[in-house]
Amino acid sequence: MPTYIRIEDGRARLAEDAFSHVADDIADLETGGVILSLARFEAEGDRLISEGRRVGVRLASDEQVEALAYDLPRISLVALDFPKFRDGRAYTNARLLRERLGFKGEVRAVGDVLREQAGFMLRVGFDAFEPADGSNAQEWDAALRRYRHVYQRAADGRAPAFAERER
Amino acid sequence: MKALTANRLSDGEVVFWKGGQWVERFGDAEVFADDEAAIAAEAHGKNQPTVVVDAYLIDLVESEGLWAPVSFRERIRALGPTNLNHGKQEEGGAAIQALQHAHGAARSSGRVNLIKRK
Amino acid sequence: MYQYDTIDKAMLEDRAAEFRGQVARRLAGEITEDQFKPIRLMNGLYLQLHAYMLRVAIPYGTLNPTQLRKLAWIARTYDKGYGHFTTRTNLQFHWIKLADTPEILDQLASVDLHAIQTSGNCIRNVTSDPYAGATAEELDDPRVWAEAMRQWSTFHPEFSFLPRKFKIAITAAPKDRTAAKVHDIGLVLRRARDGALGFEVMVGGGLGRTPYVGPTIREFLPANRLFSYLEAILRVYNRHGRRDNAFKARIKILVAALGKEEFARQVEAEWAKIGDSTDLPDTELARIRGAFAPKSFETLPARSEAFETAKAADPAFARFVRNNVKPHKKPGYAIVDVSLKAIGDTPGDASAEQMEVVADLAERYGQGDVRVTHEQNLVLPHVKLDDLPVVHAALAAAGLATPNINLISDIIACPGLDYCALANARAIPIAQHIAEKFRDQERAERVGELKIKISGCINACGHHHVGHIGILGVDKKGEEFYQLTLGGSGAEDATVGQILGPALPYDRVADAVDTLVDVYLRERQGDERFLDTFRRTGTAPFKEAVYADVH
Repeated sequence: MPTYIRIEDGRARLAEDAFSHVADDIADLETGGVILSLARFEAEGDRLISEGRRVGVRLASDEQVEALAYDLPRISLVALDFPKFRDGRAYTNARLLRERLGFKGEVRAVGDVLREQAGFMLRVGFDAFEPADGSNAQEWDAALRRYRHVYQRAADGRAPAFAERER
Repeated sequence: MKALTANRLSDGEVVFWKGGQWVERFGDAEVFADDEAAIAAEAHGKNQPTVVVDAYLIDLVESEGLWAPVSFRERIRALGPTNLNHGKQEEGGAAIQALQHAHGAARSSGRVNLIKRK
Repeated sequence: MYQYDTIDKAMLEDRAAEFRGQVARRLAGEITEDQFKPIRLMNGLYLQLHAYMLRVAIPYGTLNPTQLRKLAWIARTYDKGYGHFTTRTNLQFHWIKLADTPEILDQLASVDLHAIQTSGNCIRNVTSDPYAGATAEELDDPRVWAEAMRQWSTFHPEFSFLPRKFKIAITAAPKDRTAAKVHDIGLVLRRARDGALGFEVMVGGGLGRTPYVGPTIREFLPANRLFSYLEAILRVYNRHGRRDNAFKARIKILVAALGKEEFARQVEAEWAKIGDSTDLPDTELARIRGAFAPKSFETLPARSEAFETAKAADPAFARFVRNNVKPHKKPGYAIVDVSLKAIGDTPGDASAEQMEVVADLAERYGQGDVRVTHEQNLVLPHVKLDDLPVVHAALAAAGLATPNINLISDIIACPGLDYCALANARAIPIAQHIAEKFRDQERAERVGELKIKISGCINACGHHHVGHIGILGVDKKGEEFYQLTLGGSGAEDATVGQILGPALPYDRVADAVDTLVDVYLRERQGDERFLDTFRRTGTAPFKEAVYADVH
């Protein structure tokens, strides 16, 4: 089974991936959980879920999480795509998924996912990663812990500097 | 005529290709009359990502019996800035002086396959 | 001044440690140049023509003497003994070795300095009024808000990969010394009729390829709602700014495409959803405000005999006072502009020795406070009138007392093709040629306020669009040519300059400026500035004179 990196109990760990990415033009679905594009989810999501499948949705960076607002309770995971690591739209999508839409399921970073961005991703609410740079769980764990403090409120619930100062 | 140049990874120094080595003086650079040899050298240079950054060929022009980069930008790279006597030109000498006074069709961006970088 | 606490210091230490690892991985070949470039850029490290360039952030242009001495030490130890102050009030070192950068960052961090977000598509160093805390003009101390924005924007997890870079300026004085209207966001502190503090918010100004004066999208934003509103603006931009074309990716293009009303509507809608969850608590604002509490000024008479005597006795000092000394809010004090525009030198460059002189003077006579201006000069904001003669003498001995602030030789110039990998043409020698032409201070003073701004390429780091005379270096069939624009202003009356005519060759630019000045002196009515005359006459008389002898 393929693997990816997941945050569990506050640590980045290697985990087995129970989901497979399904391209739009693949007719036969593998068994187990599937991650569909938004278009395919809109077309086939109801049926697959009613058949007992676990379904995740992959959003391109120009798609907005608000499109999933009413479906989130039925969705197992949301995969947010970084077509290039410099495309920062998925950070907003992740943060809104957590803060505004209250999504508690897995939010997975896919595409051009580099460990240099680990800290940013964790802070906006990602808790799963498919690294594109060959990095391993130990490296992600170190990257996620690099900064002892943060300055802003975000989706991770960490106390910002101003809150720490009040203690 | 062409020469192969790059910046050295570790310190950013402008370097030139000479028979498989990188040298700091433009005057020591290998001059390629043959495009195929130049392209082969460029391929070597591009294959040294832990030695240099961004190897590329530059066009040369003859000026009073010596070769000089066509482009004004490349002359500045080969010499140093024009506002201060800093960089390679500090060394002085005949080759530097010749380059400083090179004639010919100086252009401000005569790099082959120009890719601007940050 | 704001003092970094253990948290602020830990942020810098952690960043320096991270970068040390990244450099090691690059040198070892574990990451490619393509992967490393954005990492080093986020840390202000560029590969320029001759070497690496490290851009050190100087948050809202404020330095203490210890920091300035450290910059001098770095200049001497790791560079060629000088640094270049930029139009973003940062300091660039032009001769840096990659392998030295981890050590340099550690050294910077030891004095609460860093290079964080001095490049990359993130929120850059916030600029503010160099006279903050010293001028009587201001409604509030803008540094309080600038420091709060520094913290908020540092490693912002949502807004570190924007479509393009993002620059914020804040001022609290009616006279704008920050070029707020040509920023991605310009904030001007305002007071409501009931005395409440707030901001006028301008969005979508900018220079570069498509210059815009930023429209106001909100006349009055209650001050305590600043951060939620900034998040709303940044979120709309992050989602909707163009990412398909780097030249159209700045927020100004989005604002212009949507129209300011529609852009404002989207921001307000997003802001309503955000609520006040991301606003900064009043306690933190109060803590920061405390750090900028007014200095303990002495009670002094408004008139200083020592000062008046020196002024009467020494014409050079009197000239310096006329041009480089500005009124302070406290009687007996003055604001001193330190010119980095000595005639014939490189605009914005300061040697290590000069930095040390300014640090010493700040410590001894200036309450330990040094500012950097976006016009590439330094400021000692709190000097007693009594001390001005000795401060002037020390500055003059170090080549820092050129009495030319806001005059024609106080030129902004980017590094241009002498250093920059993006440039098309040189900017520095053009500035040097023009300054030489106006070496005669009598003449320069007769000409009066005249802001010349020179960029070596269309990215407009030298702010040429908003120069009273703007000069843009272009590559015309491989040769350095220069396009002149007239009538621009980056101040409260911000205007984008008008192109005068065809670009001129390198060796004709200084003469053309001379001609423009002659036309101005001929056409001038009363005490009009160059800009005022131009606005009255338009381009015609200037164009005619500059291009007359071309034909």
